[in-house]
Amino acid sequence: MSKRRLKKLFSKIVGEDNCWIEEEILASYSYDSYPEEPVLPDIVVRPTHTEQIGEIISLCNKMEIPLTVRGAGTNLSGGTVPLKGGCVLVTTALNRIIEINKDDMFARVEPGVVTQKLANAVEKIGLLYPPDPASMKVSTIGGNVAENSGGLRALKYGVTDRYVMEVKFYDVDGNLVKGGGIPVKLVTGFNLKGLMISSEGLLGVISEVMLRLIPPPQARKTLLIFFDDVIDASSVVSEIILNRILPATLEIMDNFTIKTVEKFHKIGLPNKDALLLIEVDGHPAALEDEYEKIEKICKKYGGEVHIAKSQTERDKLWQARRDALSSLAMLKPTLILEDATVPRSKVPDMMRIIQDVAKKYNLLIGTFGHAGDGNLHPTILTDKRDKEEMERVYQAIDEIFYRTLELGGTLSGEHGIGIAKKKYLEKEIGTGTLKFYQKLKRGLDPKGILNPGKVI
Amino acid sequence: MSRKLKKIVDRLKELESLTLQCMKCGVCQSVCPLYQKDFFEPSVARGKISLIEALYYGRMENAPGVLKYLDYCILCGRCKRFCPSSVNIDEIFVRAKGIVREIEGLPLYQKVLLKSLIGKSNFVTTFQPIVSAGFKLVSKPSKADEEIREVEFPIKKNVVSIKSRSFNTIYGGFHKAKNEKLRVIFYPGCAISYMYIDWGKAVVDVLNHFGVSVYVPKKNKCCGIPAATMGDVELYKKMVKINHDWFETINDAEYIITACPTCEYGLFDLGKRIAGIDSNKKHMDIMIFLKKILNIEFSKKLNKRATLHIPCHYEHEFDSDLIDELGAFNSDFQPLENQSCCGFGGTFSLKFPNDSKEVGNPKMKEVKDKDFEILYSPCPGCVMQLTDLAMHDGIDVKVEHPIVEVYRLLKEDGI
Repeated sequence: MSKRRLKKLFSKIVGEDNCWIEEEILASYSYDSYPEEPVLPDIVVRPTHTEQIGEIISLCNKMEIPLTVRGAGTNLSGGTVPLKGGCVLVTTALNRIIEINKDDMFARVEPGVVTQKLANAVEKIGLLYPPDPASMKVSTIGGNVAENSGGLRALKYGVTDRYVMEVKFYDVDGNLVKGGGIPVKLVTGFNLKGLMISSEGLLGVISEVMLRLIPPPQARKTLLIFFDDVIDASSVVSEIILNRILPATLEIMDNFTIKTVEKFHKIGLPNKDALLLIEVDGHPAALEDEYEKIEKICKKYGGEVHIAKSQTERDKLWQARRDALSSLAMLKPTLILEDATVPRSKVPDMMRIIQDVAKKYNLLIGTFGHAGDGNLHPTILTDKRDKEEMERVYQAIDEIFYRTLELGGTLSGEHGIGIAKKKYLEKEIGTGTLKFYQKLKRGLDPKGILNPGKVI
Repeated sequence: MSRKLKKIVDRLKELESLTLQCMKCGVCQSVCPLYQKDFFEPSVARGKISLIEALYYGRMENAPGVLKYLDYCILCGRCKRFCPSSVNIDEIFVRAKGIVREIEGLPLYQKVLLKSLIGKSNFVTTFQPIVSAGFKLVSKPSKADEEIREVEFPIKKNVVSIKSRSFNTIYGGFHKAKNEKLRVIFYPGCAISYMYIDWGKAVVDVLNHFGVSVYVPKKNKCCGIPAATMGDVELYKKMVKINHDWFETINDAEYIITACPTCEYGLFDLGKRIAGIDSNKKHMDIMIFLKKILNIEFSKKLNKRATLHIPCHYEHEFDSDLIDELGAFNSDFQPLENQSCCGFGGTFSLKFPNDSKEVGNPKMKEVKDKDFEILYSPCPGCVMQLTDLAMHDGIDVKVEHPIVEVYRLLKEDGI
């Protein structure tokens, strides 16, 4: 179909000002944050009312136009790249916070609401929306649900799925479907909200989300601990949890990352083998007790403990962790951020494996991440123009993934499968499960128009 | 591929090492004043960088289409300031625009503007009385302020009048302080030379009062920023060089003082990266010089509700110093909560007048809601824009450079 005709069809739904076929606009919606080869769609459509989603999806289905939904495009697995061309539906104009309910503690939002804006609005009335993906300043709730985003507080507070109460979405025929609801206990019918979480745009298009809010913790305490051996640091992680302490944040950084942060930001980090950033929150009395226990454990493993006494000091301790990714990014032109995740007890093994892989393939790999939940971010620094090195990068990624699976881990803790991890999926979930995914997909989307080429 | 396009692609490839640093994380969306208004990817730095890449990797061929979005940028620099990977975004944009413009050519009115106004300072000085008179003909006096006149170019704007004699004509030369402590150059830039002459006078007199002798150039020579934003990179480089050459002739000046952060940015920060010219003299904004070098104190305090808009090109490491300084002579002072851009962007406000207004409006809403009487901004561009926005919406607030207030306070003390 000609682009002109496409434009005419979609204009009828969203108006001429909200759909584009110009090359420069198509190229602007051809990529996300994963270093994949960009692919241009044929048309970009930006609905301004959620009802238009239904019309767009049924038009796409009728005309067999591939449909890829996109919020801020911060995806780290290639999920928003329109692999087969077709239509990119941008949700950024669907950015209304419909309701924040203090009594029943929930928020109802459109899919294009930016996570940070929701978090701020919720904070204003004295509540908390805990998921805090690193991209929350720009990421959208629709994307957070479709990818089941995590964040720094996941160890204690869980990831996005714990907070989804209800999802409204359109199926391929343009019917509005609803999963979940307000009651805390709700077992009526299939768990369709569960179906939409992590669906990566393959099963339907989300038009509204209801999210659970919680009372914020009364106090918190932040510690930064340096270790002479990264394995000691990882052992501390397991031992803290063995002592029945559940910190909100338990982050690790290896020596390579520490050195790189120091190189670019000069914040006075010592040249140690690893650091842990720990934050505990809750009732002040309980905190004191937990803090003492943590300090004892850290010292047992030779850790050098720093604590924050004020907000400014807290910011200082967080600085290293906040600067980690950007410092690594400055080292080389291309950065590949992985999120292989292992059971917590296997973190020391995983740290060792990553070190071995870096050596074996002669690559620069910085590792930091959410040690508390086993979600590490081995970050490969390379240059995509260097074909020979890229070959080694791919081999290294393969090996990291296969060994993650051997340790009983998973391909993705929070970034999703998308294009990036598609080839490993069957190995993790097994043939039977993959076939079930495929049957589910065929049943819900027989023409295969929803985000084709991803996940399965 | 046409020969013209091939030329563009080859030249754009020179920027590859700069654009590769962008990991497409999208953080720029959260700070870009245009993205925050449009929620549209080509508005934001990541989108524009991707377009440049799409051109030179051959994913698209429409170079003018890319230029359109490179032009649609205020060059406020927030994307660069908050970029996790420290990508030199402003440099990428200016250079890319220069390359595409060089091959595609400039629109005629911009060509005339650049060649006559910026490239030839003699031309401006000679014709200034005529321009000033002509300006009076095409504009009409505004009701609220006799200094301000209304023009329709291209939409209705309230503009401060162009004076018949420039600041440099009146003040060019050496102004020796009585108890001389040190010597500096004051670089006024175009806006102070032709429009805000009083600010220039305030700078010179205040510095003299504190024992600082001041050199003022006899002729104003543009810093070159308008050339850079329109894509004439060669002219920009030339202007940076001309100005630095002149600075070098003044051996005994320790500092170069500016009262326009955009001039300072154009001559030094961006100038260094694009024209490759550095100065052995230190450079500093007048307000920061008063606070950090002269350590001036105020015996009097104003008691009006005052606020501050920090200009985009201000040296942000000094933001808190500026806030402290204004608080020192205003008892009822708080900076604006809204830290976005005023929307001016020089040529941006001519090319996209409505977008320019839309960016600035939320700021003025805060000024109105909080009922401020004075809005300081140490930048002629910001003051021009904020004055216009205030008059448009009938908001009764005085917009001015804080140096004017400092001068008034000192005069009350009898300097």
